[in-house]
Amino acid sequence: MVLHLVALVLTGVAAALFALIIVSLVRQGLPSLTWRFLVGSPNERAGDNGIAPELMNTAFLIGVTWLVTAPLGLLVAIFLREYGFRRRSAVVRPLNHLRATLLSAPTVVVALVVYRVAVGWWHWPVSLATGCLTLAVINWPFMVTVAEQALASVPQSYREASLGLGATRFATAVRVVIPAALSPLIEGWGLAVARLAGESAALVITAGVNVSRHFSLWGPGETLAVHIWYIRTEGVSVNRDAEAAATGVILLLLIAAVVWSSARVARMLSGGEPR
Amino acid sequence: MGLDIHVNKLSVWYRGHQALRQVSLDVNAGEVLALIGPSGCGKSTFLRALNRLLDEDLGARRTGQVMMEGVDVLAPEHDITALRRRVGMVFQTPNPFPFSIFDNVAYGLRLQGTNDAAALRRTVEESLRQAALWDEVRGKLRRPALALSGGQQQRLCIARALAVGPEVLLMDEPTASLDPLSTARIEELIGNLRGRYTIVLVTHNLRQAARVSDRTAFFAHGSLVEIGPTRQIFTVPQDPRTEEYLTGRMES
Amino acid sequence: MSMVRDRAPTRITAAATATFAVVGLGLIAALLLGAWPLIGEPRPLANLLGGLWDPLRGAYGLAPFFVGTVVVTATAMALTLPFSLAVAVVLSRPLPDGVRLGATRVLTVLTAVPSVIFGWWGLLAVVPWVRARFGGAGFSLLAAGLVLAIMVTPTLSLLFYQALRSVPRAFRDGSAALGATPDQTLVRMELPCALPLLIQAVLIAVARAVGETMAVQMVIGGQTVLPTGLTSPGATLTTQILTDMSIFPPGTRGHAVLDVMALVLMVGMYLLVRLAERWVAMP
Ligand SMILES: Nc1ncnc2c1ncn2[C@@H]1O[C@H](COP(=O)(O)OP(=O)(O)OP(=O)(O)O)[C@@H](O)[C@H]1O
Ligand SMILES: [Mg+2]
Repeated sequence: MVLHLVALVLTGVAAALFALIIVSLVRQGLPSLTWRFLVGSPNERAGDNGIAPELMNTAFLIGVTWLVTAPLGLLVAIFLREYGFRRRSAVVRPLNHLRATLLSAPTVVVALVVYRVAVGWWHWPVSLATGCLTLAVINWPFMVTVAEQALASVPQSYREASLGLGATRFATAVRVVIPAALSPLIEGWGLAVARLAGESAALVITAGVNVSRHFSLWGPGETLAVHIWYIRTEGVSVNRDAEAAATGVILLLLIAAVVWSSARVARMLSGGEPR
Repeated sequence: MGLDIHVNKLSVWYRGHQALRQVSLDVNAGEVLALIGPSGCGKSTFLRALNRLLDEDLGARRTGQVMMEGVDVLAPEHDITALRRRVGMVFQTPNPFPFSIFDNVAYGLRLQGTNDAAALRRTVEESLRQAALWDEVRGKLRRPALALSGGQQQRLCIARALAVGPEVLLMDEPTASLDPLSTARIEELIGNLRGRYTIVLVTHNLRQAARVSDRTAFFAHGSLVEIGPTRQIFTVPQDPRTEEYLTGRMES
Repeated sequence: MSMVRDRAPTRITAAATATFAVVGLGLIAALLLGAWPLIGEPRPLANLLGGLWDPLRGAYGLAPFFVGTVVVTATAMALTLPFSLAVAVVLSRPLPDGVRLGATRVLTVLTAVPSVIFGWWGLLAVVPWVRARFGGAGFSLLAAGLVLAIMVTPTLSLLFYQALRSVPRAFRDGSAALGATPDQTLVRMELPCALPLLIQAVLIAVARAVGETMAVQMVIGGQTVLPTGLTSPGATLTTQILTDMSIFPPGTRGHAVLDVMALVLMVGMYLLVRLAERWVAMP
């Protein structure tokens, strides 16, 4: 029992630490969490910041990236999983290595390349558009992985039944396999939103640390996560600590809401059995 | 040898659902007692109470006593580890660990701190011989246990249980997942172990109960309906429910 | 018949996959292209492996960043390992279903907490603690390792938990029935059985730690000379890319060196992927 007691104590310490982090975030941020803060614009010198543009930018970046990469990820996964390739075949194996490598690629590396291509070659400005492109490259491998794992969770017999009735592979994937894989798909897609919302390093480079007065695809697009980094490391506002924390609280709430509700929906779809 | 077991008013609940109702019965030293009864009547629960594997189940609650040598082994202060060394168990699906054959059989001994290579080898060989597996695996003890056939795996699990020197063997449908030939070998093995160990055998195979057991207990809906010499239970059952079950008229 | 009907969707999925491959390989190609000018310089390799970082004067030794990445990652892994394993062990014990479900869901949310939040915490608590305890500025490899350790703990716990859960219930029962205490079952049966998945989990966590940028950048101090100890400031490959991106525009030699650093990171990730694959079939 000694080891298990030690494990229990260590778990308690870890839990306490995380609780402490969340609590101090909320405590520092609470004074700044006002309606004005949510709907106002950043105004460093006045010491009276708002995060409305950041909220807007975050939602826009996540939304566009998600809408682009979710279907793209699904298509790649369908090709890799549903066309009867063997797992070790010359097509699937290298693609899987590529996917796994890209999945763990540091996002700042992706940003480095997108910056060279979009800003350097195509002369795009550092902007929301460039940020979207970066996030799409970052998120595509994740979406492929999510979709592949979801498709893999569907028993082979489902496909055989459908193919046996004369359905094509694509029709089988769309009509039989994807509906059966909906639960893990939704859970993974929720996690993708959270990952995107938390991305900062790549966006500092490609979307910038400013916001424009008028929302524009080609204007700078600072997100909530980047805002926290910026005011905490380079900001000059008088109550920057509280503002950073308040922004963090909003960001955390957003992420927790998405992850939690997608997990709930996934569980409902899977008939409630614990996964 | 073996050990007398006196079970006294044993009841078990799983989250309010009662799985065993006031079961009292004696198991005599060295005999083979078969437990039969419809699915869900509590046979496995009964076995798992005897070695307190039930304690691993959060939702399970029990009352009653199981006396071995005058001690209530269900008492909370009784040493679970010591109990489980005396009372070995064989499961419905063979569950050898994904280690080598040798490491599987030596597992229980090593738990007790035996690390002397010669002693381990001796006991492993002896247990494998007792489980009638030695001739098939001699010289291959370093091979993975999962490479054995289902029947061989089950005999390996029996050898693993025997290696710690138990006095009682609990077998929960040990042949349920095996082919007829492997089943016959296990039954033969049980016959050979009779007298040296007290054996409680759960089975759905009535012929098996008739072939290998000295006495048979019939359970229904968590209660012990009838217990007696196997021949008597199968020929002149006292209780109408037993007769219905044996003639295949009882719905489970 | 079915082949004809299937042709258009097949083309679309194949095209998407081809695009995916092109984007992925194009990423590597762009890095190679960017790093190319360095090849023309005298003794590029010796220069890259050196310890002096002064790109404006043509000295671009990457040793400080290699050391930074390795030390920070190793520190973080050493610190998180016991805690993550502990959480996984506790979760894999018999628990009421509701507790287990709630705990795994909280862990899942925690894995998604943005790195800037941990960086924020690092600035608030970890850096001052290091400063008070060890002197100096507080911004240090140690602070980065600590922040990173906290950050990967939810991910690693969850992966460890999945590894332990892959051990069948029948094995646990079998071990317990032989008289094993829970500790013995854990050490002698569960950990060995789950070893391949545990190792894979560690490799995934290492990849995450090596790739982390923001949380580390906020607390490491950004010093580009070889660190002298755990408590001295430093920089990692990723943080240096972030910091110098704005200083060296594409086309300059400094930027080419950033491309080299990025390439090194990608090769490292590829090796980690292959290593993980050796232990278990791919996820
Ligand atoms: N872990 C558990 N949690 C809740 N209920 C259980 C549990 N194990 C068994 N039960 C219930 O207790 C009753 C008795 O189960 P038990 O497994 O002892 O029956 P059995 O006679 O061994 O059946 P079978 O012949 O099918 O193996 C059943 O109704 C079963 O559903
Ligand atoms: Mg049973």
